Amino acid sequence: MVPFRESALDFVRAQPDAAGRLAALERFDAVGMPTASEEVWRYAPLDAFDLDRYALATTAPSAPTTSLADALSTVAATTIRLGDGFVLDSGRPVPGVDVTWLPAPAGADLEPYASDAFSLLNAAVTPGVTTITVRSGVEVPGPLVIACGAGETASFPRVHVVLEPGARAVVIEAHEGGRESLVDMVGEYDLGAGAALTLVAYQRLDHTAWHIARTTARLDRDASLSHAVVGLGARYDRSRNDAVMLGSGAENVLRTTFFGSGDQVHDFRTRQYHVAPRTRSTLLSKGAVADEARSVYTGLIEIEHGARRTDARQTNHNLLLSPQAHADSVPNLDIRENDVVCAHASSVGPLDEIQRWYLESRGVPRREAQRLMIRGFFLEMLDALPPAVAELLTADVDAALGALEVAG
Amino acid sequence: MSVLTIQGLRVAVGDREVVRGLDLTMQSGEVHVIMGPNGSGKSTLAHALAGHPGYRITGGTAEIDGVSLLDLSPTDRVRRGLFLALQQPIEVPGVRLADVLRAAGVDPEGLEGRIRVEAERVGLRPDLLSRFMNVDLSGGERKRAEVVQFALLRPAFALFDEVDSGLDVDALGAVARRLAASSQEWGCGVLVITHFSRLLHDLMPTKIHVVRAGQVVTTGGPELAAVLEREGYEPFGAPSSDA
Ligand SMILES: Nc1ncnc2c1ncn2[C@@H]1O[C@H](COP(=O)(O)OP(=O)(O)O)[C@@H](O)[C@H]1O
Ligand SMILES: [Mg+2]
Repeated sequence: MVPFRESALDFVRAQPDAAGRLAALERFDAVGMPTASEEVWRYAPLDAFDLDRYALATTAPSAPTTSLADALSTVAATTIRLGDGFVLDSGRPVPGVDVTWLPAPAGADLEPYASDAFSLLNAAVTPGVTTITVRSGVEVPGPLVIACGAGETASFPRVHVVLEPGARAVVIEAHEGGRESLVDMVGEYDLGAGAALTLVAYQRLDHTAWHIARTTARLDRDASLSHAVVGLGARYDRSRNDAVMLGSGAENVLRTTFFGSGDQVHDFRTRQYHVAPRTRSTLLSKGAVADEARSVYTGLIEIEHGARRTDARQTNHNLLLSPQAHADSVPNLDIRENDVVCAHASSVGPLDEIQRWYLESRGVPRREAQRLMIRGFFLEMLDALPPAVAELLTADVDAALGALEVAG
Repeated sequence: MSVLTIQGLRVAVGDREVVRGLDLTMQSGEVHVIMGPNGSGKSTLAHALAGHPGYRITGGTAEIDGVSLLDLSPTDRVRRGLFLALQQPIEVPGVRLADVLRAAGVDPEGLEGRIRVEAERVGLRPDLLSRFMNVDLSGGERKRAEVVQFALLRPAFALFDEVDSGLDVDALGAVARRLAASSQEWGCGVLVITHFSRLLHDLMPTKIHVVRAGQVVTTGGPELAAVLEREGYEPFGAPSSDA
């Protein structure tokens, strides 16, 4: 097989926007692949990772997995289907919504990713940027679904969603398929003044996949983002979610949820970055790990000088379902303003024994009681999602829990 | 007809024995009341019978028709016929009553409707029961939710711990009537722990057991209630010290 770097260069040279891509590829070369000795990568099974094992996706796959896309399309205003990052179907027209396909980002757009190898690689070799614009004041009647199917490749989907001032929308990003794949995803969401976005990012990739996702939301004045990230799949699931409160009164609620079994690793990173005054952010992270699965939650609250009356909170609960499972919680604060409220709470532990007894004492067998409680742990999160999505995800969680053996 | 027999039961909490040789027998269809001062071990008895992990049985037996409850898992104890309604019901976030009842083997046919009917019988707003179990419910609502569970599980025997606490007078009457009716409806043996003698009008118990320091010191008819009302627990003597 051709080394990955070589096929990447061939691909980049053949693109009409080669110059910007080459710049990104050079930056990627300069940064280099991460190693386990770097703090932010210490939980990744990098020993088992080799970029050269993957073939770069240079064309759309012929028969991608679509069961999740199909299920979501029944509740969607439109479904944009991507295969290995290529647009397969740009969906049906929705009034006030433009879907376009733009060249890869270059130059200044790469600044926020300056030292992030996987994001730079995405900028170099993504097939293009799927761009959705919801025009000023438009309220989209149903979810805009971006369904990404992955083949046995390295693929680099990239989306950019813009809500113009006062626009309101629900966007669902879904990832499926991806046996023996690398899915390296970059998402950017710009919310104009007073815009309101409900965003659900869900991945149920094959358990052999590496999923590396980075999502950045930038919120203008009084914009509001309700964001849920749910990870059930992948061997290594890395999800970094940044919300930047650029305008006063902006508000972000982020809920992250994951379930790990076997030898899965979920590596969730969040950054609540407050630039403007009177901005609020709430993070609620709940994950469960069984078998030998591991998880890490790393959450940064960053508040700039001048972001007065900021209110930023983090809550992180981890459920350990076997003695071999392991969860880490790493909260961080970086605050350069005094007039703020910050709160943090976290817990790591097994199922509550008294709650379990209570259910058993109603006649529920122990295994069922455990299953109900684990399901309940997730239901608390899924209940906050748009109902049609909640139903689908609840069914997936039930299926994932169905096979589970819990100690005790 | 079934019989619940508790003999010489001893229960420890931590390293302290709190129930110390307790005897009690009741038949299906009977309504009994347990009264006793605070700290006399009534809730300890209730939790131990239901297999709560914080309580250790150190002696004695508890059987239904000769089958030892103490050898069974908490699940099998209620399935075999002894249900406990807690003094302080526990919150279980994310878990709903209907799912619990289905998992407990209650007939799923028309379940939501039956839950609604039973809620209304004890004056509980049915929609409160579609919330996560006991989450955001008041003390009195939780107590009535326990009665709804009881009514759907239809156990042979049921023990209600401080059924009156948190309930207003109207709710109390409705709950007492619901319990009394269960003895007719399916021959349930109802055992109620309470401090509140007014409850007895609606409950119509056949026996009252007075518990002190972890033992039944007196068992009598409903007339005992009037004595307790007038004179307190003092006249009922101390439990035997060695027991
Ligand atoms: N979980 C517990 N931990 C420590 N002591 C307990 C616990 N439960 C009960 N006890 C003690 O056991 C005694 C009996 O309590 P309890 O059974 O609750 O009494 P009652 O229900 O009759 O008021 C009390 O002295 C109480 O403090
Ligand atoms: Mg008590």
